[in-house]
Amino acid sequence: MSSVTLTDVGLVYPNGTVGLEGINLAIADGEFVALVGPSGSGKTTLLRAIAGFLAPSSGSISLDDTVVADSRRSVEPEKRGLGMVFQQHAVWPHWSVERNIAYPLVLAKVPRAERAARVAEVMALVGLAGFGKRNPATLSGGQRQRVALARAIVGRPRVLLLDEALSALDEPLRDSLRLELQSLTRSIGLTVVHVTHDRAEALALADRIVVLDGGRIQQVGSPVELVTRPVTAAVARFLSDATLFTGRRDASGFVADGHPCAVPTEWIETGGVGGHGTGTLAVLPEDVALRPGTGAATDAVVTSSLYGRASNDVIVQWQGVAVRSRVPGRRYLVGERVVVEIGRAMFYEAEANEGALPVASVPVTAR
Amino acid sequence: MSSSSKAPVAGPVVSDRARSRLPLTSSRPSPRTDARRTVAGIDLLRLALWLVCAAVVLVPLGAIVVLAFSANHLPLLLSGDILQAGTNSLVSAVASAAIAVAAGTALALLLDRTDLRGRRVLRLFALTPLLVPPFVGAIAWIGIAGPTGPINKAWTDWFGGPLWIIYGGDGVIALLAIHSYPIAYMIVSAALRRIPTDLEQAARISGASAVRAVRTITLPLLKPAMLSAFILIAVGNLADFGIPSIIGLPERYVTLSTLIYRYIQSGTVESPLEVIATIGVVLLVVAALAMVVDLLVSRSRWELDDSASAVQLLPLGVARLPLTVGTWLVVLAITLLPLLALLSQALLPAPGVPLTWANLTLDNIVRATSAPSTLVGATNSVLLSVLAGVICGVLGLAIGTVVTRTRARSNTALKTVAMLPQAIPGLVIAVGWLVIAPRIGLFNTPWLILCAYVMAFIAIVVQSVSAPLSATPMTAEEAARISGASRLRALFDISWRMAVPAAIAGSVLVVLTAVRELTISVLLLAPGAQTLGVNIFSLQQAGAYNAASALSLIITLVGLAGLGLAARRDR
Repeated sequence: MSSVTLTDVGLVYPNGTVGLEGINLAIADGEFVALVGPSGSGKTTLLRAIAGFLAPSSGSISLDDTVVADSRRSVEPEKRGLGMVFQQHAVWPHWSVERNIAYPLVLAKVPRAERAARVAEVMALVGLAGFGKRNPATLSGGQRQRVALARAIVGRPRVLLLDEALSALDEPLRDSLRLELQSLTRSIGLTVVHVTHDRAEALALADRIVVLDGGRIQQVGSPVELVTRPVTAAVARFLSDATLFTGRRDASGFVADGHPCAVPTEWIETGGVGGHGTGTLAVLPEDVALRPGTGAATDAVVTSSLYGRASNDVIVQWQGVAVRSRVPGRRYLVGERVVVEIGRAMFYEAEANEGALPVASVPVTAR
Repeated sequence: MSSSSKAPVAGPVVSDRARSRLPLTSSRPSPRTDARRTVAGIDLLRLALWLVCAAVVLVPLGAIVVLAFSANHLPLLLSGDILQAGTNSLVSAVASAAIAVAAGTALALLLDRTDLRGRRVLRLFALTPLLVPPFVGAIAWIGIAGPTGPINKAWTDWFGGPLWIIYGGDGVIALLAIHSYPIAYMIVSAALRRIPTDLEQAARISGASAVRAVRTITLPLLKPAMLSAFILIAVGNLADFGIPSIIGLPERYVTLSTLIYRYIQSGTVESPLEVIATIGVVLLVVAALAMVVDLLVSRSRWELDDSASAVQLLPLGVARLPLTVGTWLVVLAITLLPLLALLSQALLPAPGVPLTWANLTLDNIVRATSAPSTLVGATNSVLLSVLAGVICGVLGLAIGTVVTRTRARSNTALKTVAMLPQAIPGLVIAVGWLVIAPRIGLFNTPWLILCAYVMAFIAIVVQSVSAPLSATPMTAEEAARISGASRLRALFDISWRMAVPAAIAGSVLVVLTAVRELTISVLLLAPGAQTLGVNIFSLQQAGAYNAASALSLIITLVGLAGLGLAARRDR
């Protein structure tokens, strides 16, 4: 088990595309870190740089106290002592389950008797006991992913890298494997770096989440921190589907540009650095309440209403802005007129909102 | 729909009553009768295709078999000449296929998985032997390593003896290998592209070095493709005519194809057709066995997932420069040198004349292109190959779409019959048509060659049509059916339209292959029906090496240009 330290890591692809820029990150021994971000944000690039499949063009990557990669040299992936699970499991089809799992031990020249014992042990750990002689083609997707997981941890890797490891599985299976993955990695105290595009999965599994965009780290923090105190409006939008309003904030509160949205100052938390002036207001879906409409011209109209176990996901069209809300209780019907009430919001001054996340909010215009 | 197609109904009234009991099909009489008529339409189309396929493929093969069993010539097969020729054919085919697969695999790994310099250009160069007809390659290589070639002459001057004379069995094997490694490369490289890079990367993370990952993961996964390439090449080389006749005969290295040619030309045995048919049946059996093995191999092929990550090129590191230089030298020697040899022979008045500015002449080229026999040959070749291309295009389009876009139990059989000639040596195809020629009144006419071309090359179009079509979901036609098209109409409007570009590309390939064909043309040679390939071959046999080279050079350059254009249009 090891720590991973990235110092000022930058990576430029041969074609000039910037993959990573100024990445500083310290992953502690035994920590479970999730990398999230929109596609093309650099999360897989970062993982592959740690693995050794990509070499950083600047900065350095260390495992414990050893530098494994900097701009001059890069230790080959096979010499880094890592374990990795790929999205498409990458189980070798020409070998039996047992031989797949034993391969890292064969390469590490572990004696035959010990090898067999360790393979059996790890197979029991991932719930594959008795599958040793099977041909991988006869296994289900979930079982193949377990083989890949067993193969990744059998060599007692310093760090376990998961590249969208659960994404190719069906939803119920993904859910159960998620639970197993957590108890497994916790019981053996593995350091894990987990790349995923599933925000719920990252929030559910990780000790800390790293939000990436445009090859840069946008925010690092615990799941609670990220959900309740996103540092930019863009992070709030990406991670929690927050609704964004542009407007001005002064001592009395926030008033949107050309839109009826107005929030008194007591309900506004200041995200990022800013306090006053023009900027963006981010409203989490949980902080939006809906009341039956009054028939006034400022009423919003429900455009979609998805049922959820704890609360329904309702999107209302409010004077040209699609507002997302998560409301428990009665399920609103599409077309119903409602009044939008904002209970809490976060304000980001214009400068603080220059994150590269695409702020694809509908322009606030009174139609 | 399918139930109504299988159970013919007496008349519309009866079927209406039968149908009206079903709740769902109660009130749509007109679309239903429509559907029944087109069911017949598509069945007629399938029947017609079956008849054509039977006439073009099954009849000649059947004729060989019948003739072979009409008398027992097996003792003759085991006699000295034929046995020796058979052994030579087998040894040269197997050895050349083994070399070709080894070279093709190495090339695929180097060009597709490493950071070798200039990979893209090198790939184009490496594929050119595919575009040069084997007999032209043979003529060209005589210019390099023949007894009077520059290498052997220089070696003799310095060391008193030639280095290596290309004539004989080793030369035949080497040349066959040179002309078939591009096929191995293409097959292996296609398989390599289907192996997800993840598999190699998983091995690297597990602690394997790059070389070890290739050895333990990639190569074992390539084995089925390598075996498949080996079988295809070995069967193809088993009965090549050009190379053994030009390279092998001067050293009395006789193979089955050259032996059969001799039997046809100069009745040295009694009832030559029966003997040849017997040899043909033996070759057929070998081809059939190879096909079965290939089928078994492809059945045991692993199911590979799509790769999630982009191909990661393996850095060669210190070995990059030497490997780059080495590969470039070998590939250029194999591909460019023969063309240069052809060029110099074409420009020199006679073999052995030193290559100086003063000796260069355009006489060969002028004479070769203006000779009446050349004009006849060119006309014949162009006419026959274009006709073959058109016929194969239409037939292949129809067969390819019917077997991939409709559901019928006979589809697999139809496709197998159409693809069958691909696995059969051209020699056997020619013999088959030779056997039935007198019965169908085409004896001694060029049309016999056309029939044989169609049989030999129809698989090219069927393959190029059905490959992209089988990757397209059936929903394309289903959407047309829902929009109101009948089955035949959907087949015309959707499937055919989608497949026409592929069929045209296939036809162009047929034309370009047929125009330079030798094995079939030389065996079915009729008065006034000689083709370009036969022209060059006769010039070479008559000792007019430089004229043969001139014509070879022209045909090669035209072929390269044609294929280049076709490839560009594909993109």
